[in-house]
Amino acid sequence: MSQVFSSEDVYRRYLDGLLSNNRQQCRECFEQWLAADAELGTLYENLVQRSLYEVGDLWERGRISVATEHLATAINESLLNLTYPRLFAQARIGKTAVIASTANEYHQLGAKMVADIFELHGWRGYFLGANTPLRDLLDLIREKGPDAVALSLTVYFNLDSLLQTAVAIRSEFPTVPILVGGQAFRWGGRDRVEGLPEVRCLASLSDLEAWLKDERNHV
Amino acid sequence: MFDTPGIAEAMQSYVLETAPVLALRLDANQRVTAANAQARQILRSGAVGRPLAEQIVDFTHSFELSALINQGSTAVHRLTLSTASGMPETLCFRFFPLPDGTLALGSLDLKEQQQLRDEVLGLNRELNDLSRLLHQANAELRELNQVKNRFIGMAAHDLRKPVGVIMTYSEFVLDEAGDRLDDEQRGFLRTSLAAAVGMKRLIDNFLDVSVIESGQLRVERSRTDVGQIVEGVLPLVRLLAARKKIELHTEAGDDNRPLLVDVAKLQQVLGNLLGNAIEHSKPGQRVWLTAHRDDAELVFSVRDQGPGIAPEDQTKLFAPFARAGTRKTAGERSVGLGLAIARLVVAAHGGRLWVESVPGLGSTFFVSLPIAPGGDHA
Ligand code: B12
Repeated sequence: MSQVFSSEDVYRRYLDGLLSNNRQQCRECFEQWLAADAELGTLYENLVQRSLYEVGDLWERGRISVATEHLATAINESLLNLTYPRLFAQARIGKTAVIASTANEYHQLGAKMVADIFELHGWRGYFLGANTPLRDLLDLIREKGPDAVALSLTVYFNLDSLLQTAVAIRSEFPTVPILVGGQAFRWGGRDRVEGLPEVRCLASLSDLEAWLKDERNHV
Repeated sequence: MFDTPGIAEAMQSYVLETAPVLALRLDANQRVTAANAQARQILRSGAVGRPLAEQIVDFTHSFELSALINQGSTAVHRLTLSTASGMPETLCFRFFPLPDGTLALGSLDLKEQQQLRDEVLGLNRELNDLSRLLHQANAELRELNQVKNRFIGMAAHDLRKPVGVIMTYSEFVLDEAGDRLDDEQRGFLRTSLAAAVGMKRLIDNFLDVSVIESGQLRVERSRTDVGQIVEGVLPLVRLLAARKKIELHTEAGDDNRPLLVDVAKLQQVLGNLLGNAIEHSKPGQRVWLTAHRDDAELVFSVRDQGPGIAPEDQTKLFAPFARAGTRKTAGERSVGLGLAIARLVVAAHGGRLWVESVPGLGSTFFVSLPIAPGGDHA
């Protein structure tokens, strides 16, 4: 307990574990961070997201293999399981959200974290996984009647597919708020999605948390 | 293209020192005489000098290496080798004839490796997604269970009052106007009163369960002694015993060393055990309540001479709504909550509740409460 928790040190050790395929080391760091009782949102952004962005950069520069990149993602994703006991124990506020990566989008971690942030704020966040066919998404929205739908986009070239999805949801469900986000929007596209009624583009998990707090004040 | 001078040497050095390819030189007896760097890493130590066939995992028992070699250098053979890691590894081999033996070249099937990796990653993703769903479903079930407990609690609470009114007024009419009624009418009233009493007990049980299950059971300890506890319990069951002509014996009443427990709840537990014992006994049989105390624990026991409980039913007994194969002797009814509640109350005291029984010879229920070193704490 007396040991001072340094998020920078833990992050370095974590990344080192990811790059040397050392799952155990990663787990220790993850647990250390969790035990330091950090906000989950911070853990997601400053440990998981940061490390994966760095892994992506290293891979882009040819410094690591695809295999290592894949394993790093798998390790990160499986460690998210450790947050679930805390996540799902939050008191419910009776609201639901449906979250998905759209068709052709194989990156799913960002979307899963978005679903988790909903849970953390007392919503039920139903997460559909990567590459969700439009039909399945619409089915789930019909079944759950959510108070919000969130879509995640990583690859900019999938923007059209995201727009089609948003249009389809909007035409069947005229009022449900649609939130979109993800790193694709670093390359633009924000104005195109926000041209649709009741569609908001949020830049980060913190923006989502602000939106959720706002939403709570409105009821 | 590849016949320029220097290329053969480059390829040779690459294959021998770096490439993820196994290169083995075999003599005329298919004994390994030389191995490249990759092969030395992968094969078990001592591989060089031993026949290659010995290192091939063969489940058919009809493996003939020379038959494969004789098929010529264009044929590709899938062979599984035992490796230094202890895990078998499947490689695709081609055999090239040499004047004094054979050159064996083998490599992993890259396409297959890719497929495998993708499969593993896909499975990992699915598993993680499922695990999220599972956690979510569990949380939802916990939530539903709480809703159920709240509902039971509320329903029981609201039912308690009208049942109380029925009881009070039936008693009142029996007391005040009983002599103006004929026997049959008095009988009707008594039956309604008895039914209301039974219903009240049921409602109290439901209320207890909802309180306990929602984690709100509070043990309110106060200073008391064994004598006081027993004295409070007996009136609850004396009438029942008298009505069924059961002899009630106590060996407990004179211990007045101090004790710190929740008196009302403990009396409820003992009352329940005694009630059960009486209800499972036949007229003329006996029921005993005893208490034994030493420095470490206080043990109450309730013994009867009833039909006993089959071993396979003894564990089920304490589950809520359990219907163990026991039969009460006068057709008394219950929903099977009493023992579940009793066990939870005893556990909240840090104690244990258990049964010992031999079918045909009766049952004994034990309640043991720890005594703290200070002396009085349970
Ligand atoms: C892992 C990975 C993969 C894995 C994904 C597995 C999985 N289970 O998700 C696989 C192998 C499938 C993959 C495939 C590809 N990938 Co890839 N991948 C990555 C990597 C390394 C990590 C992704 C990740 O999980 N990041 C961490 C998460 C948490 O970050 P995030 O998604 O940005 O989410 C955060 C925020 O954006 C926000 N957020 C996200 N969504 C939303 C939604 C809302 C509403 C809100 C409010 C917020 C929000 O919250 C999250 C937490 O802060 C990235 C590197 C990187 N920079 O991310 C490359 C990366 C994303 N991939 C890239 C590429 C090019 C590809 C491929 C096209 C490669 C190829 N040629 O095959 C394919 C694409 C296939 C497809 N059609 O989708 C590029 C994308 C370039 C671009 N801008 O278009 C990147 C950036 C790598 C690089 N440096 O080149 N990839």
